[in-house]
Amino acid sequence: MKTPENSWLWLYKIVAGLLIVALLGIHFVVNHAVAPEGLLSYADVANYYQVPGIALMEIAFLVFVVSHALVGLRSILLDLNPSPAILRTANTVLLLVGAFAIVYGVWLVFVIQSRG
Amino acid sequence: MRNHPSPSRFPLWFDPRSRHPGTWAFILNRITALGLTLYLFLHLYMLSKLSQGPEAYDTFIALAKTPVIMVGELLVIAAGLIHGFNGIRIALTSFGIGTRRQTELFWLMMVLAGLGTLFFGYVMFFKD
Amino acid sequence: MSSERWHITLAVARYKQGADPHIQIFELEVDPDEYVLDAVERVWAFHDRGLVFRHACHHSTCGACGMRVNGQEKLTCITPIRAVCQKDGTLKIEPLRNFPVVSDLSVDMTSLYTRTESAAGAQVLNLKHSSLPFEKNLFPDDGLEHERLSDCIECGMCVSACPAALTDAAYAGPAALAAAHQTVVQKGLSALPAWVDSAEGVWRCHSGFECSAVCPSNVDPAWRIMELRRLVILNRVRCLFGLNKD
Repeated sequence: MKTPENSWLWLYKIVAGLLIVALLGIHFVVNHAVAPEGLLSYADVANYYQVPGIALMEIAFLVFVVSHALVGLRSILLDLNPSPAILRTANTVLLLVGAFAIVYGVWLVFVIQSRG
Repeated sequence: MRNHPSPSRFPLWFDPRSRHPGTWAFILNRITALGLTLYLFLHLYMLSKLSQGPEAYDTFIALAKTPVIMVGELLVIAAGLIHGFNGIRIALTSFGIGTRRQTELFWLMMVLAGLGTLFFGYVMFFKD
Repeated sequence: MSSERWHITLAVARYKQGADPHIQIFELEVDPDEYVLDAVERVWAFHDRGLVFRHACHHSTCGACGMRVNGQEKLTCITPIRAVCQKDGTLKIEPLRNFPVVSDLSVDMTSLYTRTESAAGAQVLNLKHSSLPFEKNLFPDDGLEHERLSDCIECGMCVSACPAALTDAAYAGPAALAAAHQTVVQKGLSALPAWVDSAEGVWRCHSGFECSAVCPSNVDPAWRIMELRRLVILNRVRCLFGLNKD
């Protein structure tokens, strides 16, 4: 009955989830403090990302949200008792999708920051 | 084999009938998880408009202020609050904190999520 | 037993291998203080001798008579008709979920028995190991050893109620995990079966807590699974920092 253990991945999902809750709180407070009327235009967003620390906070938020979501999707897939081949394929796809989303998001942050 | 565990029975995950609050929490968590993941990728796509310059992004934001989209955004906020608060409950119970009071913890978390949703709904729709 | 008589309708899930499953309706006159199992037995005795169902002790010790009553898992020998039905009401009787149906209301419990056996759960336990730690101690400390039977009657209702067991035949399930926890309580973490810390062990549980909600015998499998998680993670973290021998 032994199958590959998942304890670290599960623990990561929990820890990432708690960090997301914390970062979400920070994200909303900071958003409101920097732009009380909202980030309603391109100029607003560009100015927002000039504030020191915000880029790092948003990137951290992105990393934890993407990884938590994809580990979670994998967990739902595991509930369906997939074959080892399907699981291996899913692992690769999820890893690639996650890496792409994070790289893309980080690139976007730098693009916006540079246009402020 | 009749009644045997099978992946094809996954729609029954979401059937709340004859279930207790703990399973309702599981159902809500799974639905909000899928909804938020979909929203995540839509949001990342939306943000790509930023790289296309002010006209593309500002035109898109104008669309985002329509009532239908704003209701959708409130649903995303509600989903995030439900999933987040229930996630805290799962983190606590998984380490033995509040495990025997998990039902009461579930109702508390849902009240918090409801209050949060009401707050954001008020700010979005009624505050000028 | 009172002399009250109720007319009720039983909608029983019928299934014989090779034929289509269907619901069969039986009209019964019952004493509402009798148990759901008694009503099922009446159907067998007076309406259809071909109705197959498991039952033995009739006092919640053997775990044979678990069924779904109006969609919810119940140990039918201790479920009064009055508790789940009203006069002229209907009771839907179905077999447990997540086990293959052999015939009508009887399911194949092999997976449950083999898994709890591999958890090496003892049936007779010292009292200090047999009760949940937050329960009141019923016996004074008279310096004597007290033993009793462990709580789990292997009725399978927890597995039937579990949403993870619905789709994943490889999931160890709440009964086996609860038995594994009992083993750890009795013999220490080194006795933890290898399959507990695996994708089909404690990490497949999604904290639905339905198992503990339906358990008729005070096992509290959900609490035990959470305890196993805590113990396994703490042990792994300790190993990481070299604080443990294993």
